[in-house]
Amino acid sequence: MPLDYPIHEFTLPNGLRVVVSPDTSVPNVTVNLWVNVGSRHEVAGRTGFAHLFEHLMFQGSRNIASGEHFTRLMAEGGRLNATTWFDRTNYFETVPKGAYELALWMEADRHGYLLDAVNQENLDNQRDVVKEEKRQRYDNVPYGKALIEVYAAVFPEGHPYHHPTIGSMEDLDAASVEDVHEFFRRYYGPNNTVLTLVGDLTPEEGFAAAERYFGHLPASAETPRANLPQLEPLPAPVHVDRPGPVPNDRLHIAFRLPADNTEEFFAAALAIDALGGLSTSRLVQRLVRREQVANAVQAHAMGFVDGVSLGFFVVDVAEGQDPQAIEAAVVEELERFAKEGPTEVEAESAMAQSERSWLSALAGQEERADLISQHALLHGDAQFINTFLDRIGQVTPDQVRAAAQAWLAPESRAVVRHLVATQEDAA
Amino acid sequence: MSTGHTTPETPQQDGAPRPEVTPPGPWSFPVPTRQTLSNGIEVLAYDIPGQYVISVRTALPLPLSAEPREVEGVATVMARLLDEGTAEHSPEEFAELLERKGIALGASVNEAGVGVDLDVPKRRLEEALDLLRLALSEPVFPQTEVDRIRRTRLAEIEQERALAPQRAARAFVATFYDAQDRASRPSAGTATSISALTRQDVVDFHARHVGPQGMTAVVAGDLSDLDVFGMVERTLGTWTAEASVPDAVPALRAADAARIVLVDRPGSVQSEVLVGCAGPDRRVEGGWAPYPVLGFVVGGSPNARVDAVLREEKGYTYGIRSVFRPRSSGGLFLTSGSVRADATVESVQLLLEILGSGREGFGEEEVRSGVDFVSKTAPGRYATADAVADEASTMALEGLTTEFTTRNLEQMRELGPKDLQEAYRRWVQGEWTVVVVGDASTYADAIRELGVGEVTVVPN
Repeated sequence: MPLDYPIHEFTLPNGLRVVVSPDTSVPNVTVNLWVNVGSRHEVAGRTGFAHLFEHLMFQGSRNIASGEHFTRLMAEGGRLNATTWFDRTNYFETVPKGAYELALWMEADRHGYLLDAVNQENLDNQRDVVKEEKRQRYDNVPYGKALIEVYAAVFPEGHPYHHPTIGSMEDLDAASVEDVHEFFRRYYGPNNTVLTLVGDLTPEEGFAAAERYFGHLPASAETPRANLPQLEPLPAPVHVDRPGPVPNDRLHIAFRLPADNTEEFFAAALAIDALGGLSTSRLVQRLVRREQVANAVQAHAMGFVDGVSLGFFVVDVAEGQDPQAIEAAVVEELERFAKEGPTEVEAESAMAQSERSWLSALAGQEERADLISQHALLHGDAQFINTFLDRIGQVTPDQVRAAAQAWLAPESRAVVRHLVATQEDAA
Repeated sequence: MSTGHTTPETPQQDGAPRPEVTPPGPWSFPVPTRQTLSNGIEVLAYDIPGQYVISVRTALPLPLSAEPREVEGVATVMARLLDEGTAEHSPEEFAELLERKGIALGASVNEAGVGVDLDVPKRRLEEALDLLRLALSEPVFPQTEVDRIRRTRLAEIEQERALAPQRAARAFVATFYDAQDRASRPSAGTATSISALTRQDVVDFHARHVGPQGMTAVVAGDLSDLDVFGMVERTLGTWTAEASVPDAVPALRAADAARIVLVDRPGSVQSEVLVGCAGPDRRVEGGWAPYPVLGFVVGGSPNARVDAVLREEKGYTYGIRSVFRPRSSGGLFLTSGSVRADATVESVQLLLEILGSGREGFGEEEVRSGVDFVSKTAPGRYATADAVADEASTMALEGLTTEFTTRNLEQMRELGPKDLQEAYRRWVQGEWTVVVVGDASTYADAIRELGVGEVTVVPN
């Protein structure tokens, strides 16, 4: 089914790429900014900095008081936040139409004049908040560090994806006000940013408002470096064991994948779905339903831009079952899939579920705006939301098989095992 | 407590001046067309143009007290087994039928009843409705699947024990509700009750309580060119079954609910704090409208009362949230979040002080911003098919319709500081149940010294 969400693009003289997608179904406007900086740009000794910086964007700027971004926009009926990830940082709010210019004015103020308001006190406070975020989401949760261990096992030391976005406590402690200034000057500026407006406005209104509020900002960001070249699959299996106080054994079995937005990445993602992402996937059928040695199997493909992506399976081991035997069963299924490719049912199911989840993702203005910004910023393709289903629809079963053979070979796996600690381990 | 901010008067250099905001126009929740099927199912159809994934929800009010005491959790196990084999299809065949059509199907149980959620691309709606009919009307509960779902529920109980927020919630209901009341025990059952239940218990529970009478089916999405009522009549409408639904009774608060329970987890780097007291349901005298606003101004944002101190001033937490949570009868007012381990005592003390401060009232601007946030975000919060369907089925489980949602938003816009203070005082009277999950040895004595309630330490 061809999608035809309207997409209008315009680039301001200062380099700000603006996308407007009118949708009058709700009297709202979503303002969504993607800045081309994430944890992949962090240097040794300053991991976690891009995310800490994002917190400071809510602590005031030249004409905005600390906290005002939340209080003012929420009081106008706005829902807003920001997130940081390997490849980028995004800032977003959905507001009633009558407040969208205020939202743009406030965004322009912090994206242009943050440094007027940054000081030691708000840096120290948000450093503490971020440390609690790290404890809450990673350190004080069973399996909370599993993905951090996966990144470290799959990507080589020094590679942009080797360390997690949340960073380390030591590096968060080391961050200084001077670091904030340098980071802002280097990465923040209209020429390193995409602004997407989705909602109850015309392209003319949106472009004029973007010009009105962002037009005076200088093209201050440095030219980004080119993305890194494609990493090959891991040359040999890697195993990392983490015994600890977990309720049951859990395996993460992970692989390097092709960089995002390539036919090969889409094929590998479909292979991962067919193997473990559906309730009819062969790993689910075998391990969960027939042999009943696992409580659950999940599968994920995460697309990245710096020369590699990540794919992984998560297996929750049923009580009393042998994790080694389960890993051997996964290896067997990977080998079989690489030889046979997906069955007709697997291929059809993976496509049908991709279609539904894509349409669901596009159903709300917020996520639609976010997906537009993502592909406009990282791939220069604001139309992606309309073409994605056609592109994956063209991937053939043989391409899926070939992608599995090339990228999901057992000898290229990294396995992180969280194992229930026995008394001796715990001592 | 700072509730305002000042706006600097100097305009931004070279940029446009700060723009004025124009108020939004009127808005109301989408209005459904409705029809009662021949078998008694009440169908609500919400046409939302441009929503190409159709969301279907069935809602069957059913109090958990319907479960036999010794096999509690049987409703949840039954719900999870609905798509694991029907009279016509094996579990694997049924899963394949769903996946090939791009259907997502899930079932869940809460204190108000049993809900089934189904999302499907528009062109597959009728096929999906027929599979939904099979799941509801002809599940066969194969023994191997019963065994599997019981085993995964037992593993899930251990996962819940390991996660601080879930562990806190379990300790909270066990402390707050009377031990004889169903509400004092986990909705999805305990290790003992799950281990005890058999396939026959599941079969019996389904036969006794699941039927079309009293059920509401919600269909939301782009319904243009679809004969929705015809489709539902041809599918769900052909289901006949006799089922009985016992009356719901309000949950009973424990006589000694106002106390402090410390769940001990040596070595925790954070403490999960959960503070609560009795709250209203949606039919409360004086109206439900003040309560979402109160939740927001007390603990709904980084600059609400709680986080203005505990996050933005002290840096003790990533975020603490307050919510008035209605049940089908009665409810709870809950505030929860994680704090740095060595700030546990001060955090509990500050939290109780801040929660108590609401009894002294709320400022004009605080109230206005809370009312505006909850009411002006409604068009966006209810913009998608799944959000509309979820709201409609939540209302149906409580015997209400989404007219309530619209009327409640209207009433909310009329609220002032006095209304909020009155509503808050009605429930917040210093009778707190407090649960802390963390390294109790490091703060149990200091918490006792606060003198805010009797302290008990329990193992994780």
